[in-house]
Amino acid sequence: MTTSKDNSHAALLAQSVGDFVKRGADLPRVRALAQTHAEFDREQWQQLAELGWLGVLAPESCGGLGLGLAEAAIVAEGLGRALTPEPYTAVAVLAARALEYSADTPLRNELLSGLVSGERIPVVACHEQADDVAATRIATTATPFEGGFRVNGQKQFVIGASGADGYIVSAEAAGEPQLLWIPRDATGCNTGLIPLADGRSYGTVTLKDVAVPRDHVLASGKAARGALARALDHAAAIASAELVGVMKSAHEMSLDYMKTRVQFGKAIGSFQALQHRAVDLYIQQELADAVLREVVAQLDAAPDDNTRALYASRAKSRCAEAALAITRAAIQFHGAIGFTEDCDVGLYVKRAMTLSAWLGNGRAHRVRYAQLAAQANREAA
Amino acid sequence: MSDWNGMDDEAFRMEARAFFESEFPREFRFLPRRMRWHECRDWYLKLSKKGWIAPNWPREHGGMGLSPTKLLIYFEETERAGVGRMPDQGLTMVGPTLIRFGNDAQRAYFLPKIIAGDAIWCQGYSEPNAGSDLASLRTEAVLDGDDYVINGSKIWTSMAHDATHIYVLARTDKQAKKKQEGISFLLVDMKTPGITLRTIRNIAGHEEFCQVFFDNVRTPKKNLVGELHKGWTIAKGLLGFERLNIGSPRRPLQALEKLEALAQARGLLADAAFAERLTQLKLDLADLGSLYGRYVERARRGEALGQDVSMLKVWSMETYQRLSELLIEAAGDYGAIDGEVAMGDASIDVLSAFYNSRPGTIYGGSNEIQRNILAKYVLNLPS
Repeated sequence: MTTSKDNSHAALLAQSVGDFVKRGADLPRVRALAQTHAEFDREQWQQLAELGWLGVLAPESCGGLGLGLAEAAIVAEGLGRALTPEPYTAVAVLAARALEYSADTPLRNELLSGLVSGERIPVVACHEQADDVAATRIATTATPFEGGFRVNGQKQFVIGASGADGYIVSAEAAGEPQLLWIPRDATGCNTGLIPLADGRSYGTVTLKDVAVPRDHVLASGKAARGALARALDHAAAIASAELVGVMKSAHEMSLDYMKTRVQFGKAIGSFQALQHRAVDLYIQQELADAVLREVVAQLDAAPDDNTRALYASRAKSRCAEAALAITRAAIQFHGAIGFTEDCDVGLYVKRAMTLSAWLGNGRAHRVRYAQLAAQANREAA
Repeated sequence: MSDWNGMDDEAFRMEARAFFESEFPREFRFLPRRMRWHECRDWYLKLSKKGWIAPNWPREHGGMGLSPTKLLIYFEETERAGVGRMPDQGLTMVGPTLIRFGNDAQRAYFLPKIIAGDAIWCQGYSEPNAGSDLASLRTEAVLDGDDYVINGSKIWTSMAHDATHIYVLARTDKQAKKKQEGISFLLVDMKTPGITLRTIRNIAGHEEFCQVFFDNVRTPKKNLVGELHKGWTIAKGLLGFERLNIGSPRRPLQALEKLEALAQARGLLADAAFAERLTQLKLDLADLGSLYGRYVERARRGEALGQDVSMLKVWSMETYQRLSELLIEAAGDYGAIDGEVAMGDASIDVLSAFYNSRPGTIYGGSNEIQRNILAKYVLNLPS
């Protein structure tokens, strides 16, 4: 149910994202950050908080706007267009949703409020294997210990770890999943950073006998499983929105170049072979955009688990493949210059690659889609 | 009349399913070709009586006015039940064109006739020397008293042998500077003296299209749609509706139904390589549905469809072809057999989707022309 207040918030948000996109990408900043493999620029992060963007989804009780994924997608697309390296989706969607769907405790509210204001940066550390889209394979253990747990295990592919001040970790206690809060500096918690193509990094979080007090348990059992599954699907949809932003900017770059680059005495964009290729990629872009809009609207209507997962996989599969195709083609459209480090095309290619791989690539989501569709058919039969 | 858009999606789906399954004649299910009028007349009238003949028309003109979601459900259920394709140009093209460009008298006269099945339309667009280059057409119309007198010939006219009416693009001003100028859009009764037909057999052996000859054919002045010499705008508007219709997921869905039945019957889903290709095509089709919804919504709001609707046609028909090709490949050795083939516990016509999907990338403006349009008018690339 949307209210007129929601509508006015959404309109203001769209306006501020529009202004942000109009200012264009600050690519020198993106390049400088890429040198350090730190996706965070604290000042920029604070600005995102002040614009209200970090709190788009978070409930109003925690200082957020309490809006839906449709609005978060507008923000993410704008950030993707500008190649903003800050981990909006990892923090303001994945972590924010995992916390929102956890039990209503003082710690959860403190983390969520801090996330919205930019003071706290929690990220989710739940993946242990590649292609485990729903992060259900959990080898990390939580052993009961003096009213809390001792946690052992290792988490991978954690975007945002370079600047995070703690992790929302999934672990199993006697066959039941738990979501636990583990501060980055907890004894036995070690964060390693693996450099990514676009200059950001994946955190590998190693947990060795980490003591987690009872009041750091965010969710347990079915509730933990449900919170994580929803948060991951929502994050996959919003990562898809970032990909849509990236592909639109990259394709605009290609089209602008085709209109100005002259060979054989004509703009290369007048050649039919290139025109048709550019059109086919544009069709991919528009399919991606249409799927994204439908998916976020459907997810905002809170469908059942299977339907939600099917939609999320549709979005990530199409948007990942389209972004990869469009950015790869951008190299070809630009010719040799497109293969140089100085050419900005490479920045878009690399961001498309990291966003595509994270939270399950196109193939992983197609495999999951097939499994879920077969399951839905069996249930209907 | 019920408020279908207000119904729960599942309830609407169940009503559509029950209706199509119980009422559509068994002998015509999954027909490998288009239905002829004598075969589908009863079904057309049944749909008309239920108020379901024009799912995409506005309510005030006798349509269902379905939202994109409901329209997709309607199509999914017609294809699930194997409902055949009728001579539908009045419903998909002429109706929406008259609603947008016609005058009150034309709407009042023709729209109820289309709904009632009293007017069956065909399209007088292409000519022997005007295919992709449609604006180079030479059929001409000259005003004589209260009538336009038409001379010339149209070709690839689908279902002209079942049509009661034809809409014709004719040159009315030979002095016009540009070839797109001086063309007018005329409505003609097929019973008018001077019209003759030659049927043309297609690659699948079916007589679905014709050449139509006009020898001093008279049509009254009131049958001019829009302004004289300004028919190109209407022609393009109609092409927009045609592209929306061709771009619907309906026809590719037909092929997917068969492909899934065949995969089941032959146990192909256990083959991971095949399953991956099938899933990709299912997603291509599902995502077409999302894009299609965008244009259905535009049409519902009465907005111009825009040149970008061309991408719907490109994606829909090429997805249809890819599905039809995988269908043949999945049939293995059976893929050479004409007509229905028994495989496992299913009986499937493997080749008809291949044949039926071929002209989709040619008619309504070839897909190469659609790409030219998109490059020029949507991407603004130089010529």
